[in-house]
Amino acid sequence: MPRSKDHIIVEELRIGWGTKVLIEHVTFNVERGTVFTILGGSGCGKSTLLRYLIGLEKPLAGRINIAEVGEPHHYEGMPPFGVLFQSGGLFSSMTLAENLALPLAAWTPIRGQTMRKLIQAKLDLVGLGLFADHLPGEISGGMKKRAGIARALMLDANLLFFDEPSAGLDPISAVELDQLILTLSQDLGITVVIVTHELSSIFLVADDCILLDKQAKGIVAHGDPRKLRDESRIPFVHNFLTRSSPIGGANHGG
Amino acid sequence: MKSPLIYEGTGEPTKVCAVAIRTNQEGDYASLVVSGSFDLAHAKQVAQAVEKVEEGLSRCRSIDIDLVHLERIDGTGAILLARLLDRLDVEGRKTRVADNQNPEAARLIALYRERRTERMPPKPSGRNPAARVGAFASEMLGGGTVALDFIGRCAASLTKVIASPKSVDWRSLPRLIQEIGADALLVTSAANLLVGVIIGFLGVSQLGRFGAVAFVPELVVVAHFRELGPLVTAIVVAGRSGAGLASEIATMKVTEEIDALRSLGFDPVRWLVVPRCLALVVTMPLLTWVGDLLALVGGLAATTAITNMTFHAYVQATLDDVTAGNLFAGLIKSPFLALAIGLVACGQGLLTHGGAAAVGGRTTTAVVQAIFCVIVISAVFTFFFALIGV
Repeated sequence: MPRSKDHIIVEELRIGWGTKVLIEHVTFNVERGTVFTILGGSGCGKSTLLRYLIGLEKPLAGRINIAEVGEPHHYEGMPPFGVLFQSGGLFSSMTLAENLALPLAAWTPIRGQTMRKLIQAKLDLVGLGLFADHLPGEISGGMKKRAGIARALMLDANLLFFDEPSAGLDPISAVELDQLILTLSQDLGITVVIVTHELSSIFLVADDCILLDKQAKGIVAHGDPRKLRDESRIPFVHNFLTRSSPIGGANHGG
Repeated sequence: MKSPLIYEGTGEPTKVCAVAIRTNQEGDYASLVVSGSFDLAHAKQVAQAVEKVEEGLSRCRSIDIDLVHLERIDGTGAILLARLLDRLDVEGRKTRVADNQNPEAARLIALYRERRTERMPPKPSGRNPAARVGAFASEMLGGGTVALDFIGRCAASLTKVIASPKSVDWRSLPRLIQEIGADALLVTSAANLLVGVIIGFLGVSQLGRFGAVAFVPELVVVAHFRELGPLVTAIVVAGRSGAGLASEIATMKVTEEIDALRSLGFDPVRWLVVPRCLALVVTMPLLTWVGDLLALVGGLAATTAITNMTFHAYVQATLDDVTAGNLFAGLIKSPFLALAIGLVACGQGLLTHGGAAAVGGRTTTAVVQAIFCVIVISAVFTFFFALIGV
């Protein structure tokens, strides 16, 4: 089957609630097999945009098209992508193993020994091999996040959405996660969309990015984050990517 | 250590105080000498001193602040001084902080002056009563639409449940039946028993006046089987299990579990609402039936205790009145009341937005609405049965 170069196409998207528009004129493409990051300050609508991309909300205007899926909010059936939620989104009444088993049990005929092996392997991958029988309430926030990543990987989808994957992780786990993301995208050709503001991680893994701004109610920059950092003339973009504050000169905030 | 200074507001050294701002005025120039502890512990004195000194500055065009005698300053003191300077600036006066003596304090004040955003226009509060009534009415209309939309979605999901039974969390059904049904048995039984006793006493006191105590067993059967049994059971279940279901689903909503469920391809209505409503519909008639039996016991105990009616006579009279019609006229309501409780509780849970406070609010709303719905539905059934003469 011929596969288009673009995995996700977003055209003139407007998001918000009722008459209140959060961001609008959002247009971007995500190429297949790349790592795409959505950046922006707190409260600018990054996570909300992600909710639209995974089909939890219906756009006020504009279109989202995911290859082989169509418009995500109309899609029904086996989930075509894995999602990590900001807080992990684990089912608190189930153990980690049961959380990971749920998508397999619902959408595949895999059962028994094979299922257990797959679950153990995915938990090992995120360093939680010894916690299969723990409930989400019994592990730390960073571990919940990693378990959420394992669950997002469970159906081996070719598209992954991560909402702030490294927030709350210790530096070593964060680096391991970055390496995992690189492996997924470079070796397996999986498209990864990440909402984040971890700059070190962005410059390491991201091929492309958009930067959202609350005041501008939309995208203020789009492109390779390293190029934007070095070449952008827009003060907000430059300040964001070089970690400098508009108040009192560069490197004030820290 | 600097010695404590003894000036108060307007300038003359009058009495000892921890906080003071002294004004040295020369024509339209003033120098404010700040002294003492400008911190959270003395916030009230600082605010008073600032207010007092501001009154005396009306004729000054140029104002300096001298921090050399300042003993201590923290965020609170700095904010109060920063806002004083802001106000003076806005009025077009020239202000200057002499920062060579106490640069730390000057920097702290400068920080709070820099990081200040223009305030948003205040939200319209204290609307007039007419506007509030209007807002309430429009919200009610919206609420009705939301409720109908949810009922519609539930109805539409039923066909999908039959088409793909895997989309329902059947594994949770035994646990739900245990929690909603078996665990509630004690409290619904106690409530029904006591209502039986109450009807018994009421019957004896009222019918006894006409010498018609012999009809008390029939009163207990008819009143409880047809009306009060299903109603009392439903109200207890609405308060107990309705609150439990609403808070469970509301918590799942605020912790992104519902979103995660949807992202894994599950419909929350089918996965969560269907098994919960089913558990209620299955267990409520059973709870009602057990409650009916216990109400008979209550009525028997009350009547035989305060009248000379014998145990045997009461049982005999009761048996004559326990007809299929009386029993099923009540039991038929139970599944509908159960469905109403389930839909209201789950629907309210799924509507939750926000944090822990929203969970509490939604739970309260769910219980209030569930109890109200139960009473209304019960009344509709009674009215309908009266019309068709059952």
